[in-house]
Amino acid sequence: CGFAPAYGPGGPAAGIRGKIRPDTPADRDAFDLVNQIEARLGRPQDARFTLGYTIRTRETGVAITPDNTTTRYDVVGSVHYTLRDAASGRVLGQGEAHSFTSYGATGSTVATLAARADAHRRLMVILADEIATRLLATSAQWNR
Amino acid sequence: MQTGTTPAGQGQAAQSTQGPASLVADKVQVEGNRRLIAEGHVLVTYQGARLQAAKVIYDKAKDRLAISGPIHLTTANGTVLMASSADLSPDLRDGILRSARLVLDRQLQLAAAQINRVGGRYTQMTKTVASSCLVSDSNPTPLWEIRASRVVHDQQRRQLYFDNPRFRLFGVPIFYLPRLRIPDPSLKRATGFLLPSFGNSSLLGFGVSMPYFIALGDSRDLMLTPFLATRSTTLKFRYRQALRSGGMEWNGAVSHDKVRGGGLRGYLFANGDFALRDGYRLRFNIQTVSDAAYLTDYGISNIDRLQSDIELSRTRRDDYSSARLYSFHSIRAGDNNATLPGVVAGYTRIHRFTLPGLGGQGSLTFDSFGLLRTSNQDVVGRDEARASIRLDWRRSWVIGPGIVVSALARTTSDLYAFAQDSQVPGTVARTIPVGAVELRWPLVKAERGGGSQVLEPIVQLIVSPRNVPSVPNEDSTQLAFDAGNLWSLDRYPGYDGIEYGPRANVGLRWTRYSASGWTLGAVAGRVFRLQARQGFSAGSGLGGARSDWLTGVRLASPHGLSLTGRAIFNDQLTLARSEAQLGWTTRKVTLATSYIWMVADPAENLPTNTSEWALDANWRVSSRWTGRASWRYDFQADRATSAGLGLNWHNECLGVDLYLSRRFTSSTSVAATTNLALSVDLIGIAGRAVSGDTGTCGG
Amino acid sequence: AIAQGTQVPLGGFKTDPSAPIQVTADKLQVNQADGTALFSGNVIVGQGKMRLSADKVHVTYAKPVDGQKGKIQTLEATGGVTLVTSPTEAAQAKTAVYTLQSGTVVMTGSVLLTQGQNVLSGQKLVVNLPSGMGTMEGRVTTTLQPNAAPKAPPSKAKTP
Repeated sequence: CGFAPAYGPGGPAAGIRGKIRPDTPADRDAFDLVNQIEARLGRPQDARFTLGYTIRTRETGVAITPDNTTTRYDVVGSVHYTLRDAASGRVLGQGEAHSFTSYGATGSTVATLAARADAHRRLMVILADEIATRLLATSAQWNR
Repeated sequence: MQTGTTPAGQGQAAQSTQGPASLVADKVQVEGNRRLIAEGHVLVTYQGARLQAAKVIYDKAKDRLAISGPIHLTTANGTVLMASSADLSPDLRDGILRSARLVLDRQLQLAAAQINRVGGRYTQMTKTVASSCLVSDSNPTPLWEIRASRVVHDQQRRQLYFDNPRFRLFGVPIFYLPRLRIPDPSLKRATGFLLPSFGNSSLLGFGVSMPYFIALGDSRDLMLTPFLATRSTTLKFRYRQALRSGGMEWNGAVSHDKVRGGGLRGYLFANGDFALRDGYRLRFNIQTVSDAAYLTDYGISNIDRLQSDIELSRTRRDDYSSARLYSFHSIRAGDNNATLPGVVAGYTRIHRFTLPGLGGQGSLTFDSFGLLRTSNQDVVGRDEARASIRLDWRRSWVIGPGIVVSALARTTSDLYAFAQDSQVPGTVARTIPVGAVELRWPLVKAERGGGSQVLEPIVQLIVSPRNVPSVPNEDSTQLAFDAGNLWSLDRYPGYDGIEYGPRANVGLRWTRYSASGWTLGAVAGRVFRLQARQGFSAGSGLGGARSDWLTGVRLASPHGLSLTGRAIFNDQLTLARSEAQLGWTTRKVTLATSYIWMVADPAENLPTNTSEWALDANWRVSSRWTGRASWRYDFQADRATSAGLGLNWHNECLGVDLYLSRRFTSSTSVAATTNLALSVDLIGIAGRAVSGDTGTCGG
Repeated sequence: AIAQGTQVPLGGFKTDPSAPIQVTADKLQVNQADGTALFSGNVIVGQGKMRLSADKVHVTYAKPVDGQKGKIQTLEATGGVTLVTSPTEAAQAKTAVYTLQSGTVVMTGSVLLTQGQNVLSGQKLVVNLPSGMGTMEGRVTTTLQPNAAPKAPPSKAKTP
């Protein structure tokens, strides 16, 4: 049905594992994004490609009860990423990943803190997976 | 070809000496040593000032220029003057312009019978009409204008001084002042009154707020806004300071009102963010309020748990550290601050490395935590401290037809210490090892038209001890189940809760990227457990030997449409939790709508089902009109939570914004309120220039 | 505004076109056929206080009337022409045509006119010798130099 293993012999993404180096993170979200990208695409050694990213997140209250209590918060995030050739710096591809996660605020103060931090971690996992999947899909074009 | 004989023409950088003005024209007639008559596209330039005119006669004895024909003079700092005739000094800094117009920052125009330029700094205009509205023969009267017997423009301090200004709206005189000083539109930060705005709230009555902005140097400012309403006198303040390494902002207000039985009320919110030496970053947040209802009464925010915190953190490529201290005060109905953890402290350090020998990706996390409750009662006043060390390791190989096999290992060691809780041992120590194998098989299909698809089955087989010493669950009561933790070794958000027992996370991800730029993605998965003793709450969808189905979908179009949704339902397709967000942005419309459904879940303090739809839409009807609507509907309570309707009209010189909002929620401390807010922007005088449309005449 | 043509008696360019003309040059070639003469090699034409110097000056004479040699009709100077009418007025150009009958000198080709501290550069200069009026055309550039400019230092005239 036309599907071929990405990492299979002669596959489009053969040889890219461990060859993509995400930029150095500057905050906790970026740290988690890089961690997940490296989990998906391998920890980079003498990388052939670099991956630049800009993360934007915002939180909005949802599920507000009749007595005006905000029971849940959405963490909406997007990452604009740019894949470049490590040597020449030439842009090989770019795109944007969007998603959101949410966390409950009806627990104790401590529970809300932990839930919020976990929501940010999960959002970075989702966004990193979207980027990795897009890179696999386009690998035939730049992985020469 | 203009020959570069003139020193001024070459724009010498530090032109300190006077230096002569230069002139270029189609034809120049020299009359001996006394006069020069220049005609045809005459251009006189002097240190950045440029004058264009039809004809210029230079009288050498008097050293004056007699200028005629349409005159266009631009001074060095961008002020534009147009006149029909003028008599100026060659350096264009002194002199008289007749039936002239002064244009400031391409917005505000001052037409005057006569304009005197003095010393290149002051421009005095007599019998002046000031407005930023375009005037044309089809609509000769500008929307608003200020007429004054005399106006002086100080080019250096960029201020405009009006003598007995008369303000007219649609040609009708509105009010009169003896004196008026306003900043010239090119001045971005000038001390002075901003335009007042009016509002009516069912709680506070009709009110007007008159912001007064004080610029304290280049990097600090203070805005004081007295808000005078029928049932409240309030002084709001905002102080901002920017530093090379970051900045901070303090917002607050003090009110005396008859809404809650009188007396002084107020709030203070502050936040700061600073970059310190070698990569450290300091952030702080202060939130305090005088009484529970103040924030909602004055529409400041609907935060119901005040969180003041301070964090010192550093992030590097393979190393993250963060030390945090929090102080909480809840103003939520039904919360008891004594039994809620009021003071919380945490330190986290994560180090990532490549494991020597074994290879693969390792990470070591040290996380310590402490919480204090002011109550000393047993159990409900429990205080707690925890220190944990977690080692993660992952190594991946590609085998056979491109299958990615990963070995994962994790050990978590926790040491707890409890106080004021007789039902719990003083200290608890536990170490939980977890081992897992992950199999991924990413398949790619290239479509003929240039699109592509990725199909990726992912399975995690996880083994960990069948039971784990339990501790009181403080930080892991709020569970979530989405594509971010479908393939995760532990879905509990904190350290207190730990998933245990042999289990498998099975799922499939499919994404299609069309040639024209559309993206359609879907994910589905489930958790299988050998035994279902784990006490997951019903609402989380994670309970039972087989968890609920987790499904997710995302759709993104190249022209601004994006939809993300997920749903958790069991085999009988009864929905446990579902959320969707739709965003659509085009040049004309920006729309954001979301829906959330959650089944009742007492374990997570959700006594009833939640079913809420929220929408926020901006619609640019025409280059002048923008409509705005927002509401939030609670299907469970079968009525709206809040609704808002807004209308904004603007042209090149006037902006009017009207916003009506109603909040229907009410509780013991919070009343349903309706707010109406009107604000007017005189663009060019006290308001932001609206980018884009410079309205055409009668447009 | 002053009408263009008013005759304003001024110093500077004034010269009497009917005054006798002396021409000195290294070489002279006379062309009997069309009655013209070609002076070449640092040619200097003098008339009253006016001096016109050039590499070559081509002189055409009016037709001889009853045996008498015709008077000079026009002088065409080419190659680094300089016209000096008074110690403070001088004009340089590539070419100049002096028609004695109308008393006008038309100079063209990156013209540079200096007058006291005033410097004008342009494409074409028409000087009316009897009235002393000069008119420069073709995107003329100059600096506005007041007469008795106490503080303004005389600006050096840079060649275009």
